[in-house]
Amino acid sequence: MVGTGRPLAAGKLSASSPCVLGPGLYTPFRRDVTCLLTMGPLNREAWARRLAAFRASPSTFMARAESEDLGLDLLSDLRSDKLSEQTKVSLLALSLEYSDKLWPDAPAAEAAVTSLLDTLILLPPRPSALRRPLLLAATTALVAGGALGPTSEASCRLLPLLLRLASGQDVGRAFGPTAEQHPLQATACECLRELESCKPGLLGSSLGLLRSLLGQMGPVQPLSLLLALVLHNTLVAQSRSGVGLQGLLVAGASSTGGSRWDWTLAEEGDAHLQPQAPSWPTAEEGECGLSILEPSPEEARELRAAVAQLLDTSYLLTPVAQAHLLWLLGWAMRGLRGQLPMLFKPQLVRLLGTAQLTLLHSVLALKATFGEALFTTQDEALLLRRLTLAAQHPALPSPTHLFYLHCLLSFPENCPLGPEGEEAAPLLLGPQLCRGLMPSLLHDPMALLAHLHLLCLLCAEDEEEDKGQAQSPRQFLVELLTGLLQRAALGDGPRALATLCFQATYLTASCLAGQPAILTPLIHGLAQLYQARPSLVPHFVDLLDRVGPELGEPLRKVLWQEVVTRPGPGEALGWHLQMLAEVAEGGAQSATLSFLQATAPHCTDWGLQQALLQVCRALLQTSGGDGLADLLQMLARQLEDPDGRDHARLYYMLLAHLASPKLGVALGPSLAAPALASSLVAENQGFATTLMVQETPAPIQLSVGRQKARGPLPVLRLQVEALEAVYSMELRFCVKGQLYEPLEAIHIPCLCPDRPTHPLYLTLKPRRPAPTQLQVQALYTTTTGLTCHAHLPPLSVNFADLFLPFPQSPKGSELSFFEELWDSCLPKGVESRVWCPLGSQGLETLVSQHLEPFVVVAQPPTSYHIAVHLPPHSMLLLRLEAAQADGVPVAIRTDDWAVLPMAGDYLRGLAAC
Amino acid sequence: MAQRAVWLIRHEPGTSFGGTVRFSRRYPTVEKRAKVFNGSSYVPVPEDGPFLKALLSELRLLGDDKDFVESRDSCSHINKTSVYGLLVGGEELWPVVAFLRNDMIHASVPLVEQTLSPRPPLISISGISQGLELLFGIQDFLYSGQKNDTELNAKLSQLPDLLLQACPLGTLLDANLQNSLDSINFASVTQPQKQPAWKVGTYKGKPQISISITEKVKSMQYGKQDIADTWQVVGTVTCKCDLEGIMPNVTISLNLPTNGSPLQDILVHPCVTSLDSAILTSSSIDTVDDSAFSGPYKFPFTPPLESFNLCYYTSQVPVPPILGFYQMKEEEVQLKITVNLKLHESVKNNFEFCEAHIPFYNRGPITHLEYKVSFGQLEVFREKSLLVWIIGQKFPKSMEISFSGTITFGAKGHNKQPFDHICIGNTAYVKLHFRISDYTLTGCYADQHSVQVFASGKPKISAHRKLISSDYYIWNSKAPAPVTFASLLS
Repeated sequence: MVGTGRPLAAGKLSASSPCVLGPGLYTPFRRDVTCLLTMGPLNREAWARRLAAFRASPSTFMARAESEDLGLDLLSDLRSDKLSEQTKVSLLALSLEYSDKLWPDAPAAEAAVTSLLDTLILLPPRPSALRRPLLLAATTALVAGGALGPTSEASCRLLPLLLRLASGQDVGRAFGPTAEQHPLQATACECLRELESCKPGLLGSSLGLLRSLLGQMGPVQPLSLLLALVLHNTLVAQSRSGVGLQGLLVAGASSTGGSRWDWTLAEEGDAHLQPQAPSWPTAEEGECGLSILEPSPEEARELRAAVAQLLDTSYLLTPVAQAHLLWLLGWAMRGLRGQLPMLFKPQLVRLLGTAQLTLLHSVLALKATFGEALFTTQDEALLLRRLTLAAQHPALPSPTHLFYLHCLLSFPENCPLGPEGEEAAPLLLGPQLCRGLMPSLLHDPMALLAHLHLLCLLCAEDEEEDKGQAQSPRQFLVELLTGLLQRAALGDGPRALATLCFQATYLTASCLAGQPAILTPLIHGLAQLYQARPSLVPHFVDLLDRVGPELGEPLRKVLWQEVVTRPGPGEALGWHLQMLAEVAEGGAQSATLSFLQATAPHCTDWGLQQALLQVCRALLQTSGGDGLADLLQMLARQLEDPDGRDHARLYYMLLAHLASPKLGVALGPSLAAPALASSLVAENQGFATTLMVQETPAPIQLSVGRQKARGPLPVLRLQVEALEAVYSMELRFCVKGQLYEPLEAIHIPCLCPDRPTHPLYLTLKPRRPAPTQLQVQALYTTTTGLTCHAHLPPLSVNFADLFLPFPQSPKGSELSFFEELWDSCLPKGVESRVWCPLGSQGLETLVSQHLEPFVVVAQPPTSYHIAVHLPPHSMLLLRLEAAQADGVPVAIRTDDWAVLPMAGDYLRGLAAC
Repeated sequence: MAQRAVWLIRHEPGTSFGGTVRFSRRYPTVEKRAKVFNGSSYVPVPEDGPFLKALLSELRLLGDDKDFVESRDSCSHINKTSVYGLLVGGEELWPVVAFLRNDMIHASVPLVEQTLSPRPPLISISGISQGLELLFGIQDFLYSGQKNDTELNAKLSQLPDLLLQACPLGTLLDANLQNSLDSINFASVTQPQKQPAWKVGTYKGKPQISISITEKVKSMQYGKQDIADTWQVVGTVTCKCDLEGIMPNVTISLNLPTNGSPLQDILVHPCVTSLDSAILTSSSIDTVDDSAFSGPYKFPFTPPLESFNLCYYTSQVPVPPILGFYQMKEEEVQLKITVNLKLHESVKNNFEFCEAHIPFYNRGPITHLEYKVSFGQLEVFREKSLLVWIIGQKFPKSMEISFSGTITFGAKGHNKQPFDHICIGNTAYVKLHFRISDYTLTGCYADQHSVQVFASGKPKISAHRKLISSDYYIWNSKAPAPVTFASLLS
C-alpha cells in the first residue's frame, strides 16, 4: 500500500513557521520538513501508480482515507535524494494541474508554497530541470488556493523573487548556472503575468521597471506580454477610477529595492477581475463603466512610446503571442483619446497577409475596438475580402474555415445596419464574394450547415434582385435541399444523414419562412421522404414541433394526406399511426376516423393498439365529436388487448363527461413520469393530476383587519392578497369545538396578484362569547384549469372582535340606562375590580382608541361608563373612574362569570396595544 | 485569453467507452478566473471520464444511432463551428473546442472573460482561436512524420514537458511544439536580445536554402452540357533556410513564365515582413483578365530554423491537365462503363505514377467482369467493388486512352462493401491519382538567382517542384452528380 503507515502528524507543515523575507532568500531549513525526510520516500513505481490512480479520477482518489497525505507526501518527496529528477518533474506536473485539490484552502496553499520555495532554494547549484516547474507550481498553488495577498508570507517571498528573476538580477549561486538564467527569467515573467491576471494591479507599481527592462535586454516575448498586461490592467483601472497614470510609466524600480511589496493598486483592482480580452467591445460600450481617459501631454507621450515599443518588437513574438499582445493593447487603448489607434496601422498590412488564425482574429478585435478610427472603408473592404478568402482557402483546415465563416456573419462593420448580436451577412459581402462559400453536398454535416446558413441569409436578402439570373442562389438552395432529402431517403443510410437533412430544413425554414418559392418544393420533398422512409417519423415529429406555422401548417396537411390516403396497412403501420397522432389536426376528421376504423382490425399487437389510441387521444384534444365517440366505443369492445380496451373506454368516458377545455387540460402534457408498464396506469397518473383536486401551497394571504362594530352580529373584516392568479375561489372556515355556529363560505370569482382586492366580511355567530381560531381552506381553479385546494394559516378571532354596542339610549337618560344595566348584573353575575395600566397614553386616548363605540356615559378625562354587548346574550360593564398617572382602577360587572377572566386579560393588555 | 483544460482522446469505435483519454491537462489558476468571470453561469471542468462520455456523444462517435435521441438528433440542435456545449452532470459546459483528426479528438475549454448567459458570440472570445491554434499545434506535432503507434506513443509521452514550455499556465505562448522541444534542448544557449521567440537557437554550418513548390490540382468533371467542369490549383511553397546569424533576411521571388496562370489567394507565413499590395489583393473572387498581376511575387522574410510553409496560393489554369469522360449505365443485371481520359498537350507527359480508381458503392462484390483497356493494366478488388486502372508513367502519343467493360455484382454483404451517401443509384465517379515531379501546372518556379540573402556566406540554393492530384473526380455523365454553385454559374 502506498501512502499509509506514516503518522499524520509528521506531515503537518506549518504556515506560520518563521521565514526570512526580502533580500535573504535562504530560509532556514525547517524542522518539520526534516521530519518528513526521515519517513523515507516512495519509490518511482509506487509514485507512478499513485499518480495514475489519482489522475484516473481525482474525486474518487480524494475520497479515500489515505488521500489526505498526497499533497504532503508530494512536497516532502520533492526533496528526496532517491527519486530521479524526472519523477519529481512528474510530481510537480501533478501539482500544477491539481493544486486546487491537493491544497484546497489558503492555509494549506500557503504552507505548500512555502515548502516549494524552500525546495527551490535547497537545490544544489547545478543545472536542474526542477527550477522552472517549482516556480510554476508555487505560483499555481498560491493562486488556486486563494492565498495570494498582502498578509500571506508566501506571497511576500514569491513576488520579490519572481520580480528579481524576471529583471535578470543576480539572485545568487543557488539559482543554478548562468545558462539556466535565461529560461528562468522567462518563466518568472510568465508567473508574474499569471499573478497579475488573477490580481490586477499587483505589478502596477513595477510598470516603469518592466518598461526599462524591455528596452535593455531580452527575453522579448515574456517581457512584452507581461508589460502589455500590466499596462492594460493599469489603464483599465485608471479609467475606472478616472485618475491619470500618475507617472507609473516612468517610475523607477521601486519594488525590487528590498522595500515591502506595494499592494495598493492590487487592492484597488480587487473589486473587478479585469477581462484581458473582454467581450466584443462594441456590445459593451457604456456598460463597463470606463470613462474616457485624457492623459496629460507628458503621459500621452510616454504611453505612446511604450505602446510603440511593444508593437515595434512584436514581430519577434510567436504568432499566438503577437495576437495576445494586440488584444491586450487594443482593449487598453480604447478609452484613450488621441491618435493612439494609428500606432497599430503599420502592423496591419503584415498581419493581413497571413491567415494565421489567432492573428486574423486579433485584427478583427482591433476592428471591433476602433472601427473607423483605424479602418477606413477601403481597409474594411480589404479585411472583409481577406476574411472571405480565408474562410474558403483550400490550404486551411475545416475548423478554421468554419470559425472564419462565423466571423464573417458577426463581422464588426463600421456602419452596421441590422440588429446587434444577430448573425447576418455584412453589407459589403455581395453574392460575388460569396461564390466560393456556397454549401455543397460534399461538405461534412457541420460545414454544410454553416454554409447553408450563409446561403439562406443571402436568399433572404436579395429576394428581388436575382430574378434575372439563370442560376439564382434560391434555385441552388432548392436543388441542394433536394439532394439532402434524397440522401436521407437512403434505406440503410446512417441516422446522421437524416438528422442533417432535418437540420437543413429547420435552418431554411427559420431563415426563409416567408418564401413560398423555397418552402413549397421543400414540403413536397419532405412528403416524398416520408413515403420512402416512414421510420423517420420521430424526426418529422421533432421538426413539426419546432418550426413555425409557415412550414408547419402546410407540412402537417401534406403528411396527413400521405397517411390517410395510403392503400391498406403495411409494415410501417406503427409509424403511420405515430405520424397521424402528430398531424391529425391538419386534415378533416371524418377522413381520419375512416382511416382509423379501417386500420383498427389490423392493430393486433399492444404497440399498434397504443399507437392507434394515441391518435384518438390527439383527436380528443383537438375536436371530439360523434364519430370519435363511436370509434372509441367500438375500440372499447373490439380491441384484443385488455389494456387497449380499458384505454379506449377511459377516453370514451372522458369524451362523454368533460367539456372540451377541461378535456384539453386533462390530456395535456402529464407531469407524472410514464415509467410504468401499462400506459393506462401511467396516463391515469396524468389524469389524476388534472382531474382530481390537488393540494397546493396557499395561493393567497389572508389577514384580519379592523372593523367597526355594528349590527346584531360581529363581523370579521378580511384582507386578501393574491400571490398568483386564481379563479372561482371558495374560502371555507371552520371553528374548532362548538363555540360558534358553522360559518358560511365566501366566494370570489377571480383574484390577480397585480389587481387591488376588496375586503371580505365574515359574519360570526358565537354560541358563547369567547375568542377562537378559524381554520381556513381555499378551493380554487388555476389558470391552467386545474382544481386545487390549500390550507391557509389559521385566523385568530380575538375577544375584542366580538364586542358590540348596546342600542343607543335616548339623550339624557344614558346614566340611568347604564345604572339599570349595572344593577341587573347581580346577583346572577359577578363583580370585580382590576387595575388597567395606562402606559404613556392617557385614559382619554385609551378609550378613544379601543372602547369609543361602547361608551355610554363619558366625563372626560377622568370618568367613563362603558357597556359592551357580547353575543349571543352576555354583557360586560366597565366603570373607569379616578384615573391616575400610570393607570386607572376599573370596576367590572358582567352577567356571565365566564367572561370575567377574559375581560381582565383584555384590560391589562390594552396599554400594550 | 487562456485555456482552462486540454484533452487528447483516442477514438476507439467498438470499445466499451468508445475511446480513451490519452492526454489531459488542466489549469487551476485559469479555472479560478473562470469562476469569477462566469459568475452564476460557471460550470466547472469535469473529470476525464464524464468529459469523454459527453464529448463522444456530442460528436456522434458512440456509434449507437439506431434510435432517435432528441438531445443529439433534434433538428434545432445545430452546430456550425467546432465549438460545442457538453451536457455534464445536468449542466452545460461551453465553449468546448473540439475536432477529430486521425482518430484523435483534440479538445480544449477556453476561458471566457464574462458571464456565459447570454452566450457571447464566438468572435468575441479570444480563447477560441487560441484553443484551436493550440490543438492544431498538438496535431502537427503528433502527426508530422509519425508512422506508427509506437512513435505516436513516444510523442504523446513528450506532451506534458512540451506544454510546460508552450503553455505553462494556460496561456499559449507558442503553437509550434517542435519549437518548444528544441528550446528544451537548446536551454543551455545564452540567447541574445532581439532573438525571436519563434527561433530558439541559431544555425551553425554550411549555408543552404531549399525551396519546394507543391501544387495540388483538384477537379470536378461532369461531362454535361448544362454543368460546367471546375478545376483549381492549390500551391504550397515550403522553405528550409539553414543560415547563420540571429536574424538573416531572405527574399524569395516566385516567377511565372509568359503564359503562366497568375497566383491568387496568397496567404503568407507570419515571418514574412512585408507584402506588395498586388499580392494582398490578387484574389480568385475577381474574374481574371490580362491585367491581373503575374509576378514576380516577392516574399521578404526572416526564416525560422525549421522547415516552414512560406506561402499558399491558388490559381485558375485554363484547362485541366487530364480531361476525362465517364459513362455508366445499368443494363438489366449488368453495369456498362466507359472511361476516356485525355492528357492535355501542354502538360509534361512524365508521371511518377498515374492511376484511375473506379469504385462502386452501395452494391455487392464484383462477381463478373469483362473489359478492354487501350493502355495500361487493370487491377480488380472484387470484395471492395473497386477497379484500379494503372496507367503508368506516360500517356501514349495520341494522349488519349480508354477503358470499357461490363460488370456484374453479387448480393450485398453486410458491411463488407463500401457505403457512400453521395453515390446513390447511378451517381458514380472515377478518381484520378497522379504525380508529376519537377513540374507545376501554373508554371510557377522559384528563380534561384533572384533569391536575396542578407547573411554571411553565400548559401547553396536548391529548388524543387511537383504536381499532385487531389480530389480529382470525373462523374458519371448519365446520372446526377453533386454540383457546386460555381459550376452552375459558368
